[in-house]
Amino acid sequence: MDFETFRRHGRGRHDYARDWKKRTGGKVVGTFCTYVPEEILAAGGVLPVRILGSHEPADDAEPYVFGMFCPFSRDCISQAIRGRYDYLDGTVLAQTCLHIRNTFWSWQKVNPGRFHYYMCFPIKVQSPRAVDYATGEMRAFRAAFEKWLGRPLADAQIRDAIRVCDENRALLEEIYGLRKDPHPPLTGREAMEMVLAGQLMDKREHNQLLRQALAALRTRRLERDPGVRLMIVGSEDDDTEFIGTTEELGCTIVVDEHCTGTRYFLNRTPDDPDPMRALARRYVGKPPCPSRDWDARTRTDRTLQLARDYNVQGALLVQQKFCDPHELDIPAIKSTLERNGIPTLFLEFDVTIPFGQFRTRIEAFLEMIRAEALF
Amino acid sequence: MLSCGIDVGARTVKVVVLENGRIRGRAIRVAGLQVEDDVAAALKEAAAGEVRTIVATGSGREAVKEARQRPTGITCAARGIHFLLPEARMVIDVGAEEGRAIQCEGGRALNFAVNEKCAAGAGTFIETMSRTLEIAVDGFGPLALQSTKLVPMNAQCAVFAESEVVSLIHEKTPKQDIARAVCDAMAGRIGSMCRRLAITPPVALVGGVAKNTAFVRALENDLKTDLTIPPDAEYVSAIGAALIAAEEH
Ligand code: SF4
Repeated sequence: MDFETFRRHGRGRHDYARDWKKRTGGKVVGTFCTYVPEEILAAGGVLPVRILGSHEPADDAEPYVFGMFCPFSRDCISQAIRGRYDYLDGTVLAQTCLHIRNTFWSWQKVNPGRFHYYMCFPIKVQSPRAVDYATGEMRAFRAAFEKWLGRPLADAQIRDAIRVCDENRALLEEIYGLRKDPHPPLTGREAMEMVLAGQLMDKREHNQLLRQALAALRTRRLERDPGVRLMIVGSEDDDTEFIGTTEELGCTIVVDEHCTGTRYFLNRTPDDPDPMRALARRYVGKPPCPSRDWDARTRTDRTLQLARDYNVQGALLVQQKFCDPHELDIPAIKSTLERNGIPTLFLEFDVTIPFGQFRTRIEAFLEMIRAEALF
Repeated sequence: MLSCGIDVGARTVKVVVLENGRIRGRAIRVAGLQVEDDVAAALKEAAAGEVRTIVATGSGREAVKEARQRPTGITCAARGIHFLLPEARMVIDVGAEEGRAIQCEGGRALNFAVNEKCAAGAGTFIETMSRTLEIAVDGFGPLALQSTKLVPMNAQCAVFAESEVVSLIHEKTPKQDIARAVCDAMAGRIGSMCRRLAITPPVALVGGVAKNTAFVRALENDLKTDLTIPPDAEYVSAIGAALIAAEEH
């Protein structure tokens, strides 16, 4: 198994999507946010592609997205302006923070796609009425999508897509689980490349690759010293370069709490006679984004649990600059982890990262943890 | 047996030589373009004999090829302050390019915060402002202490702060009041960085800016605590590095 495959898919995401279109004659739809039910798109033979960062300066975002909106929302719109996503036939947003909503609306001015759907999704997933609400919205989305496709979807097709997505989640969870080992068989960078690739490619193909990866990982032994076990916590994060360079400083990222990582795949679709309700239950029940986690902040305890399960020695709390939902959560997560003996280091991400500055701080953080371990 | 700590900072190179746990020699040099030469010269000046082990720290620590270890300035400052002022539980280090606060105990860093965003929280800010006000850097603190009037200034950004100073000059605001406003604003920034951690007295202040008496007073007011400036304050990280070097024996 060549683990570089996942990296290649991530880097060549646009080529993959264009090639997929040519191969299958199907349509490709971009998704904003982990709450878009990819299963409905896949059931219609459409390839859902998560819109992720490019990490190139996003100065051209200015007339579309305010300068004090998060770098991720600016990076996305900038890529649309540059035509990188011109192959998309549409985009779907599940209602989330204002910054990415702004990108979604601006996107339609600069991208040729036809089908742009703003899906309402409960902003308070803890509400006892959230599943009913989400079920209704799933139905509305399905109906709009069917209209655009020009044909109805059979429930069996949706169930089949759910099965494929759940298999994907189970495989990722199993692979992540191997990182609990004192000597993880894969680096944090490789794990991130794996989980990102799945959000960019056909799930069946991704599952095939994950099955091969899982088999290979069972006997793989990395030559490197894993060093300090860290977790990384934050919003959208696709900065594999950052993870890779950080791991060269004598640590391994053994688990993440990102909407592009564990929040994307932990939990499955429950059995339900109504597939729309099954989807609603899965998405309402998934590890929550801070913009939906009301009134109790359940994310804090879940993050602590992950830290314990993966036996981490410290946590990097990363925040996209100006991201309000995460700004709100970070103090609670920081104090919860620190109260439980897990030191944290806060880092603010921009479209591009000044790694030189981060480097000293990460090194000092690692020195602190190592010194602690000696006492 | 001599062990040596070298702190290669943005502005200066500091060398400390320890012998049996006591400072045997020290030297400070302005860091030029050829840092390796400055390190060699400082080492020559400070070392009275054959140095056994070298440990380098600071942002330019990679330049010291013969270093056995290269720990960060944060780890070294925590070690160094324990040597100079064992009771300190927090050390605030404001150098030319960076400000940082470290909670420490027994020579170990327990937590830290760094002001990396803008020059408004580091020594270069005062240098720039003294140029704008046409006064010597050394005279900045004493002048500010003469002020009797509070002038609010919003030093979120060094560039905007400079234009604020220029308008204050145009309004004929006395220089001492402007100098005080600059010290207060910078103390405000450093203070908020410190509050990201808990303020745990006794607090030590080190780094070049500790020489500015008006800044020290402003920071004490902001943090509502006394600050102790140990002797050899600018050598704190080099001392920490030398202590780590001594352990290598
Ligand atoms: S949640 Fe934060 S990082 Fe994600 S799009 Fe919104 S503001 Fe940006």
